[in-house]
Amino acid sequence: MGDYAILLDTRFCTGCNTCFYKCVQENRLHESAENGFTRTMVFIKDRGLYHHRCMHCEEPSCEATCPSGAFHKTPEGIVLYNNEPCLGCKSCVVACPFNVPYWNQKKKEIVKCTMCAHRVLKGEQPACVEACPTDALEFGPYQDITEKAKQIAADNNLHIYGLEENGGTSVIILTKEDPLVIGYADVPKKVTKARGPKTVVGAAAVAALAYAGIKKYSERRAEIEGLNKGKDNK
Amino acid sequence: MGEVKLKRREFLKLGGITCLASTLIAPLNNLVPFTSFAEAAESETKYTVTKKIPQVCARACECDCAYNVVVGVDTATGIERGITIEGRSEDPVSRGKYCIKALGFVDAMYNPDRLLVAMKRTNPKRGVDQDPGWVVVSSEEALNEIIEKMKQHKREEMVFCSPGDPYSNRLCRSLGVRRSDQRTECFGTHYYLNSLMVTNPPNKYYSSTYTVTHSLWGFDYSKTKYMLWFGFDSFSKCGKAGILNHIVEGKRNGTKIVGFNPLRTPMADGIMDEWYPIKPGTDLAVALAMIKIMIDEKIYHEDFVKNYTDSASLIDADTKLHITDSDGKWMAWCTEHSRMEPIDSCDAPALDGGPYTVTVDGKEVQVIPVLQLLQESVKECTAEWAAEISDVPADVITRVTKEFAAAAPNVCIPNLKRDAAGPNYANSWRLMHAINVLHALTGSLDHDGGVLFLHDVKIPWLEDVDPPAKPYPELPDKAPDYRHEFPVTEEIYQKKDFSAPGHYGMIGYGLYKTDMTKVVVFKGPHRGLAALIQPQMVEKALEKMDLVWDWDLYLDDIVYWCDYVLPAPHQFEEGKLDIRQYYPKYPCLVGGEPVQKPPGDCIGWGAIAKKIGFAMAPEYWTTDGSSDPEKIIPGNVNDAALKAVGAAESTEEFMKEKNGIWIDKKPYENYRTIREIGFGRPNGRVRLYIDEFVKVSHEPLPKWADRWTTPDGEYKFSLLVTRAPWHMHADPNFINNKALNVLSENNYIDCVWISPNAAKELGLKEGDSVTVETNPQYMKDLPRPVKSKVHITERIARDDCILLFHGIGHRSKWLKHGRWGYRDGDLIPQKDPNVAKEHDPTGMGWVEDVYVRVVKA
Repeated sequence: MGDYAILLDTRFCTGCNTCFYKCVQENRLHESAENGFTRTMVFIKDRGLYHHRCMHCEEPSCEATCPSGAFHKTPEGIVLYNNEPCLGCKSCVVACPFNVPYWNQKKKEIVKCTMCAHRVLKGEQPACVEACPTDALEFGPYQDITEKAKQIAADNNLHIYGLEENGGTSVIILTKEDPLVIGYADVPKKVTKARGPKTVVGAAAVAALAYAGIKKYSERRAEIEGLNKGKDNK
Repeated sequence: MGEVKLKRREFLKLGGITCLASTLIAPLNNLVPFTSFAEAAESETKYTVTKKIPQVCARACECDCAYNVVVGVDTATGIERGITIEGRSEDPVSRGKYCIKALGFVDAMYNPDRLLVAMKRTNPKRGVDQDPGWVVVSSEEALNEIIEKMKQHKREEMVFCSPGDPYSNRLCRSLGVRRSDQRTECFGTHYYLNSLMVTNPPNKYYSSTYTVTHSLWGFDYSKTKYMLWFGFDSFSKCGKAGILNHIVEGKRNGTKIVGFNPLRTPMADGIMDEWYPIKPGTDLAVALAMIKIMIDEKIYHEDFVKNYTDSASLIDADTKLHITDSDGKWMAWCTEHSRMEPIDSCDAPALDGGPYTVTVDGKEVQVIPVLQLLQESVKECTAEWAAEISDVPADVITRVTKEFAAAAPNVCIPNLKRDAAGPNYANSWRLMHAINVLHALTGSLDHDGGVLFLHDVKIPWLEDVDPPAKPYPELPDKAPDYRHEFPVTEEIYQKKDFSAPGHYGMIGYGLYKTDMTKVVVFKGPHRGLAALIQPQMVEKALEKMDLVWDWDLYLDDIVYWCDYVLPAPHQFEEGKLDIRQYYPKYPCLVGGEPVQKPPGDCIGWGAIAKKIGFAMAPEYWTTDGSSDPEKIIPGNVNDAALKAVGAAESTEEFMKEKNGIWIDKKPYENYRTIREIGFGRPNGRVRLYIDEFVKVSHEPLPKWADRWTTPDGEYKFSLLVTRAPWHMHADPNFINNKALNVLSENNYIDCVWISPNAAKELGLKEGDSVTVETNPQYMKDLPRPVKSKVHITERIARDDCILLFHGIGHRSKWLKHGRWGYRDGDLIPQKDPNVAKEHDPTGMGWVEDVYVRVVKA
């Protein structure tokens, strides 16, 4: 398991979404957020607060299904996305059992949390954690965070989400209510690599996605080349 | 470890093979292997910090958090600008935290719709359907024209719609013009009840602050053992970082929190120990039952009640007023000597019994102690009675009361702005009164772990540092907001505190129903017309005015009726000094510096006030009462405040040498400030019995009263109003931020919230369009139903109410992203003063005392 993790104790989350806007400012994502593509957002649901954010899985389905290696789980526990090799096939969007990645069609990129790798690298906390007015978010070594989460859950009769889902993640969420009732995805404990090419159907699906992605890429290249040609002609 | 890089074009060439391979073997990840996040594409910061400017938040809420505005070069654009906020841990309020609104303010500095030049109307016809025909003029030219036009009007024909900041106060007082402002709907009820019971303005700590709130006390959320929330947990509170960080610390340390709110907020989900979906507008019943239980079972804080309140003071049974000696001191019945004695020198004052017979001015008078009268006032208010009214179970009321009393004095019932004790219902002033009585009965007022009083620090008013050379002129007898018809608030406004909240809940009524006003001035940054209740009445009234002008950050809705709009600086473009009103545990001053020079032709309010004041009433704007422009008052209240506590000799030194913070972390002295500022100084006390209310035929002690409005047929939904944590009134700084609008839409902030049962009964499905309409019985003039989609949610825990969000619904075409949602104020009637007087001696807003119907559109 990776080095770092985030603990979200939703008992202390008020849905203020300071984390959302701090993320926008820290990562200069204004344009993306204006179009609905956000790395983290809190939704006020009927039975609790739902945080839409990358869970940073131990064995990320996005990574497993990405045909171009645009995703990678770092040893630090962070799942990172690199736009350079991305084909835009969106297989990660389909594969993610937590329904996290967004495809920003305008910018041709996947939008998902980086756990503020650039800050963590400098020994700082992710921006959302630093900004949380109630310290509902906590960042620290994975072992410390998970042990703390288990202890708090046991002491306060809370549900833990993220510890085992999809084989375990680096974002651990504590809730009073059943997380599935709140709106968190019903994710098997086992890694959902079934979405990857482990079955004939899965293989066919990924193949189709990959083909579609490559086709799209090819079309886009042609489009760009066409545009460039147009410019050159002026 | 070296990297194997595969370019897209190469990858494309290999596409077919790759695709096939990817389906059969392990997917082709690691084509761009990452050894560590350090090598990842996201390892670079997107900006380079160049400086951090200390600032104090203002006008986003009253916490006034201190923080740094981080300025840096945005890598993508290469432009230096405000990037974000960084906390300041040394600030006792924010303690290193900040909220989403503070972050939003940073980007608002660069909002492309900001008004940077003065605008002048050329089309004389006003209205939302009229093009004003704006022409750009210089701010100075606009101001000169405004002054010439104002000079043509009598002072009784003008009104300033402005908070009572030092410059607005001086301008209005020097011109002899009435001032009215929207804080009636924010702080009015709290302010007036607190003034009448404890803080007794003017007092030595009463300060001029950037965000005028008049809060002389805060709550010790992190140390208190037990809190009761009468609707305190509104969605707006869910975003107040300055109090949230304290609440959560208390919670982690075991504070018990019990809340009453028909809306189940996220704070009810997580932070509260117990939550009860109370019937809207009935919190008063629960509070009265609590008072009864505490007095009947004698579980009140006897020492505090005897020594720091008027509980033992005697009330004349005939006049219903406090009996006083020749010095104006309250009297008590001494049980030891069986006679009336001055309360401060009485060793054994009676708290109950009576009537006692005493002689006053040679006449026999029957007198009764205040606490005895209070007990009689609530004698019918059993827990069962309250349960019947409020739907809070009787056993809960009884248990909670006993727990609350047992935890005293480390208890509190926080109330700020739009909670049930705010200006929400016609009986809210009674609830505020009852809450203060509960604080007194528990000895938690001015006590560590309870209600903390501002002490040992003050930012003076302009009159304190630059006193006028001669008395200000009398104000016009009549006020367009009818303040003159409310003697209790009028007296405070005229004689004690010119900054006291005005009657905005009636200003629209006054402008519309009378012809007395010809000139209306809006000091409207961050406010705008959408902050008003029943703005349609104001809109109509403004059409007939001779002159309307506004000082604003944006061309928001109000400008459709303005002749001139002057561009205001952003709050981060101004220097500030502030006290810590929301957590006044320690005397503290914090300062802020401008992040940047105001762009364009922006002009500060102080400069405007000085220019108008000097042009129209120079004798009040010079140090010697002359007309010499060289002698215009300097008006530096901040330097005076800093010098008074020895923090610095000047603001410049304070910011440079002390980084803008001074704090005296001495232990909190319980009850000292009550002695200093309460009634009956020098041994000040809390006054439970309010004589002023008797004089206007209202109850001097809290008593039950039904709501002003009642459900009627289809008009059966009580209107709840709150606002998103990322909004502030109708402030375009937030509404005109597209990213925040995305957040709002994802959280149904632009919808009418209704319970599943109520929706089912109306045949509504999620997302259906509806019309919400106020009962015409209560809104006879200019009704304007609201159209919206519905959000069906269990968070509306009762079937007899619906929720609307405040602070959205701009119409202005000059706000690119601001024109969305409904306007809650359209449903809330301006008040007929004659009706208001019957129900509320303070005449405040009653913004939720409305029943509406919901009809599928």
